[in-house]
Amino acid sequence: MPDAHEKQLEELLAHPSVWRGRSRAAVETFPTGFAALDAGLPGGGWPRHGLVEILTPHPGVGELYLLLPALAALSRLAPARWCTWVSPPHEPFAPALAAHGVALDRMLIVRTHLPLWAHEQALRSGACEVALAWLPRASPRAVRRLQLAAEQGRALGVLYRSQKYACEASPAMLRVLLEPLANQHGARLSLLKSRGGTRESIDLTWASAAAA
Amino acid sequence: MRAQKTLFEPGDVSAAPSVLRVRPAPPPPTGPGSEGQAALELDPRELWVAAHVPHLSLRALPRDESGAPLVVLDEARNPRIIDADDEAQGAGVRVGMTLGAALATAPHIDARPRDTARELALMQRLAGIAATFTPQVSIEAPDGLLLEIKPSIRLFGGLKELCRQLREACLADTVLARGGTEPHFTLAPTALAALAAARAGARCFITDPRQLPARLKLLPVGVLRWDEDANARLLGMGVRTLGDLLRLPRAGFAKRFGPARLADLDRLQGRRADPRRRLARRERFRTRVDLDHEIEDHDRILEVLRPLLDELEQFLRSRQRGITALQCRFHHYRAAPTTCALRLAAPEADATRLQSLLRERLANVRLPEPVRRCELRGGALTERPLASRPLWSPGERGHAPANEMPALIEHLRARLGAEAVYGIGCVSQHRPENAWCATEPALAPVVSASHAGAGAGDVSRSPPFRRPLWLLHVPEELDTQRGWPRRGGVLELLAGPERIENGWWDGADARRDYFVARDARGARFWVYRECAGARKWFLHGVFG
Repeated sequence: MPDAHEKQLEELLAHPSVWRGRSRAAVETFPTGFAALDAGLPGGGWPRHGLVEILTPHPGVGELYLLLPALAALSRLAPARWCTWVSPPHEPFAPALAAHGVALDRMLIVRTHLPLWAHEQALRSGACEVALAWLPRASPRAVRRLQLAAEQGRALGVLYRSQKYACEASPAMLRVLLEPLANQHGARLSLLKSRGGTRESIDLTWASAAAA
Repeated sequence: MRAQKTLFEPGDVSAAPSVLRVRPAPPPPTGPGSEGQAALELDPRELWVAAHVPHLSLRALPRDESGAPLVVLDEARNPRIIDADDEAQGAGVRVGMTLGAALATAPHIDARPRDTARELALMQRLAGIAATFTPQVSIEAPDGLLLEIKPSIRLFGGLKELCRQLREACLADTVLARGGTEPHFTLAPTALAALAAARAGARCFITDPRQLPARLKLLPVGVLRWDEDANARLLGMGVRTLGDLLRLPRAGFAKRFGPARLADLDRLQGRRADPRRRLARRERFRTRVDLDHEIEDHDRILEVLRPLLDELEQFLRSRQRGITALQCRFHHYRAAPTTCALRLAAPEADATRLQSLLRERLANVRLPEPVRRCELRGGALTERPLASRPLWSPGERGHAPANEMPALIEHLRARLGAEAVYGIGCVSQHRPENAWCATEPALAPVVSASHAGAGAGDVSRSPPFRRPLWLLHVPEELDTQRGWPRRGGVLELLAGPERIENGWWDGADARRDYFVARDARGARFWVYRECAGARKWFLHGVFG
């Protein structure tokens, strides 16, 4: 009999709206393309909708390589939605993106002095699968707005920020800190915030990404 | 009853001919007029209304106050008179006279060349009225108009009622009435017959094709508007009316006058299809509102524009069309009007959306003075695909995204400018700065299978980590330390050199040695050294 009660309890706790501290939240995810990272992230991949913050000490750490396998796969879905780049620091180099398997015709670049507004529009519209944004600064309130917009538009919002914001509270779903590895072309990734992910840092090399 | 039924049994061969013999045999064909009478159906497939404007060239010319008899000349080098008003005719001027002869007959006439542009404008105005009754309207240059009205009969409550309304609408128009241009209307089962009767000014209101030959019989040959030579030859043969013409033997007629003329006669009698090109009307939405008082506030302006936008939406919806360009003009007291133009990625007809786009656009517009009048001008009307609203919200349950992308692009562009939003594409060029291009975002749905092909081309086969993900707009010159590049500290060169030497023909000659470099913090860069000149080092890309 105790077995039956335990089973019932398990069923109850498996309900998606019940969230326990150590358990993994039931979110719709998409594989990152890195097996080690998939194992560490809640749900086994990037969330399909919500806001992800990627913090780096300085640009050029590999913050884009981290997303490329997922970006390539998402841009090739059957009814592919768009990927919007809001005020990127430089020009995304089309031949390199194509070499990584990204479908260029689903990319949209937005150059603006209002990155917060543009990012929110892109997330809320429902037209984008992913919206990447490079913001010089964003208050927690603004980040909260973006998180809500991403949930409403069912899009994955990615926010690239400097490491110095790591100590600030953030309403983002997932916060990731990237640091360069000394002797490999890769980075060390630590999850600052995740709903039920691992706490350890994960070493990734970019060339190890599964072929998209 | 039962006996009759057995009569038509398929197996009963002997009964069939006896039934057929009841019908009278068709009369043997004798001329172009009577062959194949049986081909005509009792119920006409088409019903054409023709409107002919008599003395159009005369009517199109504006009258002046002097009241001198008006005479219209053609555009030939030695002008001849093509039309003259009653007074001039009374004074002895005849159509076809040279100008000299006419002046000798009546020196006080006012002779003017014909104004084809005004004639066309008048006919287009008439066509515009006719188009409210049927979409199939065509102008028969210069002075005829054809309408196919069969599909509209029920809508307007019967044939008689439709014709009455059409006539009244044409007579009620002020511009047409001012010129005294009263068109003559006829109805016939073929386009050419209606037109011929209208040109002759004959009464013709027939729906039965069988009555057609009798009606056409008395019309003069001239109504077909064949050239002078053909008319003269027909006159020489003693053929004066269409009845005479239709009695001529077909083969001989075709030999003498050509197959094109014979085809004309066939069209006249409905034996040959006579499709007419529909008049495509160029419509534009244009409206304005004069304000009681001057306003400056953008929100108030949008409030004022709202009824105009609603009107625009009505206009577009009734035509199932959309616009891709909209211009708003604000008139001031002294300053030149301010214009605020909106370009849309996809045809749009929704007032609320247009208003929200205008709001974004207006935020960037500075008004020099308060606004006294607002004017709205729509661009060309384009086909707008009508789609039903999806059950799922976009992206949900694998539902295809609907029209969100054009909306997003317009929204961003309205605020940030058109060049701020773009897509990217590959160009097969060796110089990195030329190897990509900004493109117009591809809004058409793309089949995912074709993704790999068109955009990527040869590049997708190149190894993925050879090129950086970021390219600097302008290469950044690097400091050097004993000939080696520095950025923060000395850069460690990991790979290279890779020489790119290209572009001597277009003035942007590039000879560079590219290296992959790493700085002390672990960031990877794409740097190059010039092969000529000062051999400086530049930073060109970042491996993101």
